[in-house]
Amino acid sequence: MAADSALLLSLVEEFVSGLQDSKAKDTATGVKDGQFTVLQLVEALGLSLMSSQPHTRARGVKLLSEVLHECYGNLTEAEVEVLIAFYENRLKDHYVITPPVLQGLRALTKCTVLPPGSAVSMLRSLFQDVHVQSLMLAERSCVYNMLINLMETREAELKGLGTDFVFGFVQSMDGERDPRNLLLAFQIAKNIIHRGYDLGKFAEELFEVTSCYFPIDFTPPANDPHGITKEELIEELRAVLTGTPKFAEFLLPLIIEKLDSDVQSAKQDSLQTLTACVSQYEHKDLAEFLEGLWASLRREVFQTSSEKIESAGLTALTALTSCLSRSVLSSDSEDSLSTFLDMVLEDCKHHLSELDLKLVWPSAKLLQAACSASNRASHIITAAVMPSLIEQYSSRTQCSHRRTLLEVVLRFIQSVKTSQASENEERVFSAFRESLCSMVFSALTETNTSLQITATSMLTSLAQQPGLLLDSDIELALDHLTRLLLTEEDDGVSLAVVKCAGALAELHPAAFITKLIPRLKTEEASEQHSHHAVRQRCLSALAAVSTQPSVVWESTPVLLEVLGSAHTGSVCFSVEEVVLACRSLQRIAERVQDTEETGQCFHEIIIPRLLSLALQAALQGEGSSGRSPLVEEVVLSAMVPVISTACSRLQPTLAGQTASRAVSLFLDGDVSFLPDNSFPSQIQLLKQQGDSWSQSQMVCLLIGCVCSLPRSVEVPQIDQLLSQLEEMSCTCSHPLSYTSAAKCFAGLVNKRSEGDSLHSLIQSTMKKVCRELHSTSSPVRTQAFTLLIWVSKALLLRYHPLSIVLTDKLFSLLDDADLGPMAADGFSMLMSDSADVLNRGCHADVRIMYRQRFFSENSAKLVQGFNAAPQEKKPNYLKALSNIVNKLPKQVQVTELPALLSLLLEALSCPDQGVQLSTLSCLEPVLIDPPPALIQQLEALVSRLLALICSPTMTVRIASLHCIHALSRFPEHEILPFRARVLRALARPLDDKKRLVRSEAVQARAEWFLLGSPGGR
Amino acid sequence: MSGGTQLENANPVIFQRSGERLLTASDEDEEVHDPIDDREIFDLIRSINDPEHPLSLEELNVVEQVRVKVNDTESTVDIEFTPTIPHCSMATLIGLSIKVKLLRSLPDRFKIDVHITPGTHASEEAVNKQLADKERVAAALENSSLLEVVNQCLSTRSI
Amino acid sequence: MKEALSLVQRLNAHPDSRCWFVSWSPSGTLLASCGGDKAIRIWGREGDSWICKSVLEDGHQRTVRKVAWSPCGNYLASASFDATTCIWKKKNDGFESLTVLEGHENEVKCVAWAPSGNLLATCSRDKSVWVWEVDEEDEYECVTVVNSHTQDVKHVVWHPTLELMASASYDNNICIYREEDDDWECRATLKGHTSTVWSLSFDATGQRLASCSDDRTVKIWKEYPNEAGQGDLSWKCVCTLSGYHGRTVYDIAWCRLTGALVTASGDDSVRVFKEDESSDPDQPVFSLAAQVTKAHNQDVNCVAWNPKEAGLLASCSDNGEIAIWRFQEEED
Repeated sequence: MAADSALLLSLVEEFVSGLQDSKAKDTATGVKDGQFTVLQLVEALGLSLMSSQPHTRARGVKLLSEVLHECYGNLTEAEVEVLIAFYENRLKDHYVITPPVLQGLRALTKCTVLPPGSAVSMLRSLFQDVHVQSLMLAERSCVYNMLINLMETREAELKGLGTDFVFGFVQSMDGERDPRNLLLAFQIAKNIIHRGYDLGKFAEELFEVTSCYFPIDFTPPANDPHGITKEELIEELRAVLTGTPKFAEFLLPLIIEKLDSDVQSAKQDSLQTLTACVSQYEHKDLAEFLEGLWASLRREVFQTSSEKIESAGLTALTALTSCLSRSVLSSDSEDSLSTFLDMVLEDCKHHLSELDLKLVWPSAKLLQAACSASNRASHIITAAVMPSLIEQYSSRTQCSHRRTLLEVVLRFIQSVKTSQASENEERVFSAFRESLCSMVFSALTETNTSLQITATSMLTSLAQQPGLLLDSDIELALDHLTRLLLTEEDDGVSLAVVKCAGALAELHPAAFITKLIPRLKTEEASEQHSHHAVRQRCLSALAAVSTQPSVVWESTPVLLEVLGSAHTGSVCFSVEEVVLACRSLQRIAERVQDTEETGQCFHEIIIPRLLSLALQAALQGEGSSGRSPLVEEVVLSAMVPVISTACSRLQPTLAGQTASRAVSLFLDGDVSFLPDNSFPSQIQLLKQQGDSWSQSQMVCLLIGCVCSLPRSVEVPQIDQLLSQLEEMSCTCSHPLSYTSAAKCFAGLVNKRSEGDSLHSLIQSTMKKVCRELHSTSSPVRTQAFTLLIWVSKALLLRYHPLSIVLTDKLFSLLDDADLGPMAADGFSMLMSDSADVLNRGCHADVRIMYRQRFFSENSAKLVQGFNAAPQEKKPNYLKALSNIVNKLPKQVQVTELPALLSLLLEALSCPDQGVQLSTLSCLEPVLIDPPPALIQQLEALVSRLLALICSPTMTVRIASLHCIHALSRFPEHEILPFRARVLRALARPLDDKKRLVRSEAVQARAEWFLLGSPGGR
Repeated sequence: MSGGTQLENANPVIFQRSGERLLTASDEDEEVHDPIDDREIFDLIRSINDPEHPLSLEELNVVEQVRVKVNDTESTVDIEFTPTIPHCSMATLIGLSIKVKLLRSLPDRFKIDVHITPGTHASEEAVNKQLADKERVAAALENSSLLEVVNQCLSTRSI
Repeated sequence: MKEALSLVQRLNAHPDSRCWFVSWSPSGTLLASCGGDKAIRIWGREGDSWICKSVLEDGHQRTVRKVAWSPCGNYLASASFDATTCIWKKKNDGFESLTVLEGHENEVKCVAWAPSGNLLATCSRDKSVWVWEVDEEDEYECVTVVNSHTQDVKHVVWHPTLELMASASYDNNICIYREEDDDWECRATLKGHTSTVWSLSFDATGQRLASCSDDRTVKIWKEYPNEAGQGDLSWKCVCTLSGYHGRTVYDIAWCRLTGALVTASGDDSVRVFKEDESSDPDQPVFSLAAQVTKAHNQDVNCVAWNPKEAGLLASCSDNGEIAIWRFQEEED
């Protein structure tokens, strides 16, 4: 013990007189280890604390405070009591002592064993003895932190201080300038307000001391290490100012005053603060300021010079109106909402009749903002403005006027939120239903396309107002839409009509079933008006309206009938139209509500019918004369996603049935489930019939049936199916057939459960593939390669351990004289999502980040391969690399790029345009936030990009110009030296023969011109 | 109303923007030579910002496609622009912005004439003569405060 | 008789910039050029080709619009948009900046040395023409400021022998000045062009003056004895060449050796006109002797005849190039 006290004394001596700061740490360690107690330390400090030199005393207190900072957790209540008394006493000492005292007190505020009453006593001494704003930055921060700590743990005690606490705080922060401290002070003020401290008569003082910072004007210094932003300060201060209605009488005049400012950000801050505060207020808080607020808001919207201010003003108006609407319920005297809205209407309404003047739009926007605030506001505003708008629409003759009116009315309808009205309240627009309908219908018959388009939006909005339109209105609307579908030539109008029909069908399926669909059916079946554009619109309309199951039952037969007629030739459809019909079916499969009912429809009707039609067509053969359009590759390829989308969404039982039906059809020739069953008994779809491909290519439809099923669904006869698919993929000579067989095989392998049978399957397949690949004279090397790449993909996606064997094989093929370029392209397929198989939509086993994983495991191999490859093979490696990097997520590209940069730059000078293009698309996202490695290579990058802007290939020219454009956003001092050279080089593509290239060049050059130029960048 | 802003024409009539030019198959065909046409020139200038409004020249109807004439084979471009009000003091600046935009965007073989739509401005002749004087235009662009305003008109809108 | 302009050489004189003006030294051995890159370049012949001998940079903050050689060939004056005129003195192989003449409010558009070499004229967008006197110590002093134009003064030239000066302006007029009691006064205003007059050139005798304009014409003006004998001078337009130029005519030069006129135009062409020797001196006829329609691929800004070697011609253009041409008259 004696030794310890000697040690303590020497530590104190060394710290206080020797000025060795590190001894504080040692002392703290001693206390923590129990070598001596804090009170012993106080004792040992005795001499220094009694020194006549304030600096020595300060040094002594500093040692104690630093020790407390380390070990406040270990103190006992008794010790804390002594220490608090000690510190409080020291607050009265010389000012140089104050900083370490505050440090010590702060440490004590963190103690859990603070004795009752000590918080109050500490604060009383603090507020009494310390003038906070004459302290240094760090000490002020210390005070704020003390308050924050105590507010967290001793709330009840502090509240016991009553208004003294608020007053003490107000005095402490009055005049604070440092943004870091302001954030702390705002936090305290926010706590005071939100946690219900008594403001008493100091509400105004608290408001004054905080609101003097409003609006926040702060620009962080360059390279600010504290990272405090203007936005943070704005948010915190706003939370203080808007936190209580007690501030309303001070805040609202302040907002009105600041809105007069010329500074845009001050205006915006004021408007946002207004929006925030009224959500806390009641109408009585606002009453005396409504006129002033309205005058300011109106001015900001009427004379706005910025869209941001305008939208902030409108939002504030909505919030204000909604506050007034809320309060009305409890209001006894005057109805402040209607008083306010009268004011708004008074100033805005008459502008709605001055269609040639510029205040139409701002007025409409203000009224709409108010209208959207509440149901009551909607009623008041619409009752006041709609009659005049409707009247004007019928009396005005000028098209531009009518369009303006229609747009204004449309936005009023949109501003009324549909969910607002409760059931028994009157609908906002019901009084105007009839006039609005006739307005829409008359606009739909106009010849002006923009009127027609606006009318379709208005029709949609009206229909979305619940319970507004009558059945007869919907029927009339359908007549108009049908007419436009069949006759309107303008693309924009047709698109709008189809969109509107889709929205209406969602709400009124019955009307569509009885009216529109039969009409479209007649149209599709008719030979006379077989106008391609009309058919096209009808086909997309059928898809657009089919979101409700009941509609799907009616619409899909019409589409299937198109395919049927096309096959038999009873109605002449172009291949393009047949494809469109398939697309419509696919859209329906994607969008229809997922129910048992729609599942049945696809399972029972659509899929069997598609298979049946395709089979009939296949059996007719591929002779060029009179062959069915359904054997065309584009048509089959369009059918696949119909089936696979439907199957991926089927309930498991139905899915299982579909799978087994399909397997028995393809393996056994079982046609029993197909409609129009007049098929021969010997059908072998998975065997090639000589040179004929019309049957073998049907295997692509099998992909749709078996590869998109949920993984839980068992595919029957899987082994036999796999073996026949493998056989077909390696022997067939027809590209669609063998590729489809390989994809189908891969799709099944991907979902096959892990185990020996999968391993042996892969190994045998691999053996077979390698045998063909190794024999350079094999006629089916391409087929073997196709199977290899699809199986590689199937395994790579699920992280199968054998995938590396297959992908290594692919890498080795980059050196192959014939297959090298194909292998390089193959990596693009490997890394991208395929549309019809092996994607998450069809329940494939796709692990997250498989691309990154593949990349990180293989990039080194590629680089090595590149370095080792003979010159003429190098492009294959570059292409493979750029294909892989291109598909990586941007984040990964950015981190991986430095290592690959020189290779990618090499790739830019590779003569292969595919490589150039793919590399450019890799580079582009990286250029947005260039890593230092890239900036170091700027010279090489710029020269190579500039060389590519004269490429013979348009897409390369466009992509390289795009990259040069992106370069203009690099740090100015890095790229300024290139400015003249880039501008000179960009002069040439301004005269490119392709407009798209010129347009890219213009944009890039414009940015480079602005670089380093006044007012530019 | 007392606003903080002092615009000459505080509340201009706003016109709708035309959409992006639609892509055609020939635009994407390598072999086809797309001549520079009126719409292409119009697309270059329609998005120029007005010096005093957060609006484009197209939205203010200062430029219209019918007032753009280009002859690609003879390398000439002729633009008429219509100031929003007949005493607009910004007319020269707007014309200068159009001219600079075209100088930066067109191949240098083009002769570019920019003038005011006849009868729409009080100082039409004086403004036209200034815009046609390339020496004055060159000197103006060496004036950094003027260049700053022009560049702001030509910047992609950031408000 | 057959004439032709053949290209001798093209020089990329002011890359990425405009070449505004070229000027031959009095001995015809050097050519000075200036441009938007704020630089002046001196070109000399080496063997068969013209090469850049020196570059005068840092004299001006902005475009150098024109340059002029002193009659002795030892000084060069440059006029710039930076509102100053710089005097350069030949030293060894190069030039050094001797003095900077300040005073104009804004862009100086032209500078010209009087045949004596003792006087220098400058003009500016500030509408004024200033005359400066040079003493033996190379000190320059402004002796007169004349404000006879109502708009920018684009160009000034001196009479080949007399102390007589002419200026061209954006106000469409030409003014002729003469010294009167130590003061320079405008003694004649030549009206006729309908737009900016860009340049002027006296013939070898100084009795006739050619002018060119934004109105796409060239006019020939002739001095007539004044009836009163004293006071104002009498100049009349005796010939107008129109229909030849497709755009603004930016410059004109009258060859003092051959009498051929050459023009530079915004239609990218250089054209040489010859006077019909038989025509009436009061109604002279000029006809197009030769032209190069695409002399440059942008506006031609300036043309200058070599003062010693007949037919040798320099032109320069917005694309920064200088071209040297030879005009040959092949006798048949």
